[in-house]
Amino acid sequence: MSIDARNHDDAETFDGSGDGTGDEENKSRIARWADDWIQNPEKAYAVMLVFLGGVLLTTSLFPLYWLFNVSMAPPGQTDIPLLPTTIDLSVFIQVFQQVPFARFMFNSLFYAFTVTVFVLLVGSLAGYAFGRLEFRGKTPLLFSLLVLSFFPPATLFIPLFRAFNQQVPMLGLFTLPVEIYGTPGAVVTPLSAFTMPLAIFILTTFYGQIPDGLEDAARVEGTTRLGALFRVIMPLSAPGVATAGILTFITVYTEFFFSFLMTGNSAAEWAPVVDGVIAFQTQYTVRYDLQAAASLIAIVPVAILVVVAQDKIISGLTQGALKE
Amino acid sequence: MSGGSDGVLTGLATWTENLSEQAYAYLLLVPAFLVLLLFAFWPLASAIRMSFFADVLTGGQLGEFSGITNYVQLLTNTNALAPAAFVDPSFQTPVLEQALFMTILFAVLSVTGETLLGFLYAMLMKAEYKGRRLVRLLIILPWAIPIVIQGMIFFLLFRPGYGLLTEPLQQLGIFSNLPLNTTFDSFVIVTVADIWKTSAFMALLILAGLESVNQDLYEVADVMGASRWQRFRYITFPLVFPVLMVAMLFRTMGALRVYGIIESTTVGCSTVPSMTCLVTQFMFGSATLYGSAAAVSVLIAIVVGLFIMVYLGFIRRSNQSLGLA
Amino acid sequence: MSRVQLTDVTKRYDDVTAVDNMNLDLKDGEFICLVGPSGCGKSTTLETIAGLTKPTSGEILIGDREVTNLPPKDRGIAMVFQNIALFPHMDVYDNISFGLRLRDFPQDEMDERVDEAARVVRMQGMLDRMPSEMSGGQRQRVAIARAIVRDPDVFLMDEPLANLDAKLRVNMRTELQRLHKQLDTTIIYVTHNQAEAMTMSDRIAVLDKGELQQIAPPLTCYNEPANRFVAGFIGSPSMNFADATVGDGTLDANGYSISFDTTAIDGVGTGDAVEFGIRPEDIYLKSNSAEAEDPSRTFSVTTDVLEPMGDEIFVYLKPILGASGEAADFEERQGLLMSVDPSSDISEEEDVEIVIDRARLHLFDDASGDAISHGIVADSEIGTADDGVQAD
Repeated sequence: MSIDARNHDDAETFDGSGDGTGDEENKSRIARWADDWIQNPEKAYAVMLVFLGGVLLTTSLFPLYWLFNVSMAPPGQTDIPLLPTTIDLSVFIQVFQQVPFARFMFNSLFYAFTVTVFVLLVGSLAGYAFGRLEFRGKTPLLFSLLVLSFFPPATLFIPLFRAFNQQVPMLGLFTLPVEIYGTPGAVVTPLSAFTMPLAIFILTTFYGQIPDGLEDAARVEGTTRLGALFRVIMPLSAPGVATAGILTFITVYTEFFFSFLMTGNSAAEWAPVVDGVIAFQTQYTVRYDLQAAASLIAIVPVAILVVVAQDKIISGLTQGALKE
Repeated sequence: MSGGSDGVLTGLATWTENLSEQAYAYLLLVPAFLVLLLFAFWPLASAIRMSFFADVLTGGQLGEFSGITNYVQLLTNTNALAPAAFVDPSFQTPVLEQALFMTILFAVLSVTGETLLGFLYAMLMKAEYKGRRLVRLLIILPWAIPIVIQGMIFFLLFRPGYGLLTEPLQQLGIFSNLPLNTTFDSFVIVTVADIWKTSAFMALLILAGLESVNQDLYEVADVMGASRWQRFRYITFPLVFPVLMVAMLFRTMGALRVYGIIESTTVGCSTVPSMTCLVTQFMFGSATLYGSAAAVSVLIAIVVGLFIMVYLGFIRRSNQSLGLA
Repeated sequence: MSRVQLTDVTKRYDDVTAVDNMNLDLKDGEFICLVGPSGCGKSTTLETIAGLTKPTSGEILIGDREVTNLPPKDRGIAMVFQNIALFPHMDVYDNISFGLRLRDFPQDEMDERVDEAARVVRMQGMLDRMPSEMSGGQRQRVAIARAIVRDPDVFLMDEPLANLDAKLRVNMRTELQRLHKQLDTTIIYVTHNQAEAMTMSDRIAVLDKGELQQIAPPLTCYNEPANRFVAGFIGSPSMNFADATVGDGTLDANGYSISFDTTAIDGVGTGDAVEFGIRPEDIYLKSNSAEAEDPSRTFSVTTDVLEPMGDEIFVYLKPILGASGEAADFEERQGLLMSVDPSSDISEEEDVEIVIDRARLHLFDDASGDAISHGIVADSEIGTADDGVQAD
């Protein structure tokens, strides 16, 4: 952490500076604060940030708390109180007993992991080309990535569905050798294609910022151009790679449309985690408590990923690289 | 490693090393564009082709070639089977019930909200203090919630009669008795739900941009006596701008294609008909109207395209490079 | 240790020719400086040798190997960059050992080599530092260690000292020379600083507009510049130039007329337009004219501005008005620049008498700029008649 430890002159410690809000009795203390803040705008800024952060976090977390609340409510109850009446964590076990929820999660994790690795790899090659090389047709190609995102993904469903079922030849040229509908391939391939443009854009922006000198140095030291990408440019673009990775992973993990329609409904048929959540919903009853509990469980892998990956999103990676 | 494959690999490596910059660039683009060609560009082209064929109500087939009939019907609100108006030139349909205007309004409101909130979140994630890791996680989490569950949360919050927030909002006179069935109320719910969830996306991208700002510049600014606002205005903002633009670009495209949140909050496409709602309803509704569905998709793409042009124009004018402008 | 040969190397970009038909033959173990103003093609030349840029045409040999189409990693070179280019995500050890790791060196040999390289650049005990925690000089040392650790055939250095402060630069210059002596490896060193080139190199290659102007030992470049460009570029302060005409036994620039035996030099005839050049240090006050090898007649001039440098004083002289009333056209400044001993008693706006060392006067072809002669001799017949005041 020593890399980014310096230079943060705005790194006030917020802890403690915001308490005492309940103190009514001490007008002079408030006055003192006010004076202090006028003297010392940095402090006022810090306090403001704490306050704002508190408000933001509360609003952003409330629905999550609400979800927990719902999971604690007895089955069938839809009038959810602000505070749970009982705390019964057995609901989190029931989730796994009633449906093969672990398998549903595995399916989605598999999709998310495969697509993320693939997109980061293939997207890095493209991001490197777009970000660091000059070539004819760069702008139109980059623009074509955007154009792809103009269309609702649903549009692509029918042609892909037919191709995956071997009903129509792909590109009008060849029929897929095997039917991939209902297999992970039918989910992973289109989702890779849909998440690719954003990933390429993010990686292009970040790879483009790495100074040429570092790449040259790596090449002189003995890497190929591609080696320099993976050994120097990617590590130095860690914030961008981590961001693109998190975004892709979460998008695929929570994706519903294709992963639902391209697979069967049961866990064994590669249905996604969302199917697992919906499985608690029958035609006549909805187990909101189980759905909520399942949702909270489903978030755990993402939470772990975010915790791990966010350490890469730090500043100052290229600090000390070049003396300009 | 066997000597043989090693030799091939070395040969391949040498071969790629000797390519010109241009040829090398194309080589690197091949994998990505191959995937895109097969699973995005080709289906897209087929869909565009479909839009010029007449609907056949059953069997998932395409009818005769019909030219731009589908488009004309959509733009003049004369498609008898349309679940909602794409656009009503006579304006007898309320604005919020015209897919085009409803969606644009949604996109503008949600992207604005998400950008502002996202920036604040990003600053919060950037500052250094104890517990930052936790704050970062908590900010990102809402985005990790599958849209179906998000829908459920908001459904339960606004459920008529029971929902925690239904009553207070009704008493304030903001919401009607059945918020999930009223277009205005539902529109607000959907927008709020979207902002709540997607601000994290913005925050994450902006954070990545903030973190890549060379910290030395701040020292320079401090030496020059810049105020906090000036630091933001003259250093942070311009340097974050490219990433911010990527984030806003993709969020705008996403918002203009809004669909999932509408269905999952049980608001439903009949109450808040977004443009993409029309696509799915044409496609998976009681009748399968592939031609019309494809035509709506193309119209959506055109609307999105126009928005993107505005962005690119803006980027170009502010003289920032994104590779595109 | 290797010889480096460039044969007809040309690098063209869309509309610019960065390197034009470059031919260089560098001896094994030689310290060569490529100098020239920015945009002269010196860095591009280095990049083609490194393999970072591919020449449009021509051939490059390192040792006996043709490397024109080899990627940088296979050329047996190491490079030190102007912007230092340490990998910021690696500590000193990892930076230095990067190339060794790529080549799968065994750990113990790697340790040994890294220690040795760190010792050479005096960075022992700092192997676990990150680049961001080091000073500019330390970073540059690490960069040099990274280059020497692989024991390359050729070192390429692209203005490695340009970003260091003045004091450090002089120190590092000495260290590089010490290093060269110690390693005895061919070093190709790019700089725009002619003083750096003069002090460090065995030979200097002077480049301008993508073309090689001269390649020769530093003193040869200084004493016998191949053309007007080299003459002007090498030496500080730079040479005085003026347009001149060859008269009948004289060399005439407005205001200056110097006795000149045209028959002693091939290729000049009466009436030819030439350019003459004289270094500030080859102009003397009359009192010191004994120091000149072949002093000319005396000219009376007025001093303009003085620039005392400590070890010498630069004296700007006001132009002498010629017969036509026009001043001799010395570039940029109107008069000559001369350098005198710091003990000289001289002040601004003072009338002084000067002599020019004829033996150190350079003549260049007016059109091509090529050197015609380094030093001229007085015309034995007309000489004295012409200026009479001559010292001899």
